Amino acid sequence: MRALSKKWVALLGVLPALALVAFACGGEGEEGETFKIGVMESLTGPGETYGTVAVQAKQMAVDEINAGGGINGRMLELIIEDSKCNAQDAITAYNKLTDVDDVKIILGTSCSGAMLGAAPLAEEEGVILFSGLATNPDIANAGDYIFRTSLSDALLGVDTGNVLWADGIRNLVTITEATDYAEGVRRTTVEQFQKRGGQVVGEERYPSDTTDFRTQLTKLFNENPDALHVAAQAEFAGGTIIKQARELGYDGPIYGEVVAIGTTALEVAGEAATGTKAIITDLDPANAKGQEVLTNFRNRYDYVTLPWYLGSAYDNVYIAAECLKQTDDDQDADGFRDCLYGITWSGAIGDDYSFDQDGEVVGLANVVVEVLPLAERTQDNQGYRVLGSAPAE
Amino acid sequence: MELPIIGDIIRLSRDPKDSLRLSRSNLEFWVNLLIISWAVAFAIWQGVGFAITVGTVFAIWAILSVSLNLVVGFTGLLSVAHIGFFGIGAYAMAILTSDAAYEQLRTEAIPTLGWPFFAALPVSVGVAGLVAVVVGIAFNRFRDDIYVLVSFGFAVIAFNVFLNWRSLTRGAFGIHEIERPAIGGWVFDGELEFLALVLVSLAVVILIAWFLMTSSFGRVLTAIREDEQATEVFGYQVTHYKLAIWVISAMMAGLAGGLFGSWTTFVDPNSFVLMESILLVSIVILGGLATIWGSLLGAMAFVLLEEGMRFLPFLPSEFVGQGRQVVLGILLVVLMLFRPQGLVGRYKL
Repeated sequence: MRALSKKWVALLGVLPALALVAFACGGEGEEGETFKIGVMESLTGPGETYGTVAVQAKQMAVDEINAGGGINGRMLELIIEDSKCNAQDAITAYNKLTDVDDVKIILGTSCSGAMLGAAPLAEEEGVILFSGLATNPDIANAGDYIFRTSLSDALLGVDTGNVLWADGIRNLVTITEATDYAEGVRRTTVEQFQKRGGQVVGEERYPSDTTDFRTQLTKLFNENPDALHVAAQAEFAGGTIIKQARELGYDGPIYGEVVAIGTTALEVAGEAATGTKAIITDLDPANAKGQEVLTNFRNRYDYVTLPWYLGSAYDNVYIAAECLKQTDDDQDADGFRDCLYGITWSGAIGDDYSFDQDGEVVGLANVVVEVLPLAERTQDNQGYRVLGSAPAE
Repeated sequence: MELPIIGDIIRLSRDPKDSLRLSRSNLEFWVNLLIISWAVAFAIWQGVGFAITVGTVFAIWAILSVSLNLVVGFTGLLSVAHIGFFGIGAYAMAILTSDAAYEQLRTEAIPTLGWPFFAALPVSVGVAGLVAVVVGIAFNRFRDDIYVLVSFGFAVIAFNVFLNWRSLTRGAFGIHEIERPAIGGWVFDGELEFLALVLVSLAVVILIAWFLMTSSFGRVLTAIREDEQATEVFGYQVTHYKLAIWVISAMMAGLAGGLFGSWTTFVDPNSFVLMESILLVSIVILGGLATIWGSLLGAMAFVLLEEGMRFLPFLPSEFVGQGRQVVLGILLVVLMLFRPQGLVGRYKL
């Protein structure tokens, strides 16, 4: 028992030792020499895929900027925290960044729940919260220091509703994952579709860990719909729904958003996904910067997923770098905010976009895409072809 | 209340030589000393601001772990339902006090009631207690493994209610602009004031738990844990005792939930997933069953481990989050391997 006790004490002793190492590493006199920016993303938990892609894209952008000499001769440094897709962890991550690291500019988050948890603190303390991925419509009202390059779900739903109507769909059924993103998309889609004169003849919801949708789909198809709308948050579920819908003999059109045609979703659905239409924000093939970012990302990490979102996260860093160049002070959140309000940017996700008075991005638009047959899907085309812009009302 | 570290320190100050010799084989003394030193070092090292945040997280988890220990440790009922009552408290606070103009947002609208915090907090506690009465009456029929399963069922049901009762909870969108406490014109909007409030609440919970466990009521609960049927033979209405401690424990979790909702000013179902309940049971086991001090120590160790992971220097930035989770998991496994009865516990599960 005595020997065991020593081991035990030694084990616990490792913790303070690690802390001391961290302290020593953190205090090597780099303060004042680098511009420090905080990053809060969902590195674990339900939004892990989005958070990881966002962090990797941001790190790639920072390395490029630093390799090019930095900003006004100073290097850019990211301090990354895991906000885990919930409010409590977003608040502790936020407080760690602002209180310990003394950061005034935070890029993130990838989850709307985390964003809405930290936003009141950021607004009260005058700290910038700048997201490339959060899409909840409520974020538009979150405050003067809250910005995003991701398009609100409200806009996505309006576009989806218009596409459905333009394609001659009159009776629609929906299946929706019970998350803020998917619920937001379904709600605004249905509102717009009904406003145009369409009718929703059936709707089903499922919790995030569901894998068998046959019962719900059978119930929906009994209503003889013109089309099925899939609002998913997890790609696996999105792909499985499409696959099981076809297995049940449904041959009508299927509509969705970016998740339903993501890399994993298409892999799960296979041939069943062919012809699925989605309304998404997409990297324009004609935009050289976007394609260059994709290529560099693939070369560096050996995979690509959620291309638009990684482009958005990448652009966030370059926009931040431009604003830091103007303010020359990473503690000047007000100057950074004013810079964002005044900036017009061309980058990986589009040309000449800017921010409105709510911090919402202006100048980017959704496009309609169609999934290609299995044989025609490649890494370069992501498995779909762009049909064009989403029609207006 | 048992505070082993204080007794050890007093002995040490009276007779340093002798006490140190005794303490060498006293594992609990060293564990206590290490965790408390680690907490103090963490606070000094990271500065007051972040320490206040970590302290608030600790206090909320400590209320939860003390309350759960009443059921799991003292009474021997292994429950993973606690996160449900925590969520009920948080949602009661959110629904009653949120003052967002939801009808102006383009998402689900719920009624705006605009209650003050101190009116809503007793309701958070009461609603959790009421639900616990209903659930507890049903749960009293079960014991052992089946009890774990039905409590698991309750946690899943609670999560799904938060997610799907959209006209009340806004479902996945969550509820924001939840009221911070205010007395007259003095609003607890500073983190330090809020920490003080949470610590006072924790002190009240500890006092109630201590009073219960040192009373004859507590001794009957301990007897139930050791042998439920034998306790019944002695003429005690075991079901009444089990129901009573279940409801008291749920009310404490409701209190923690109310405080949590007000602290974050935003709640959504992601904060009340089953995984959180399992983490909570881990904290109780880590600290030690049937010991209030153990629950506090367990919560402190857990929060320090998790938040301490934020400062690990050797993880690549792209994998920092996942790396921390792996290290945290390994540390918890190692702790359980060497100390299955918990840091200061006397009983194994």
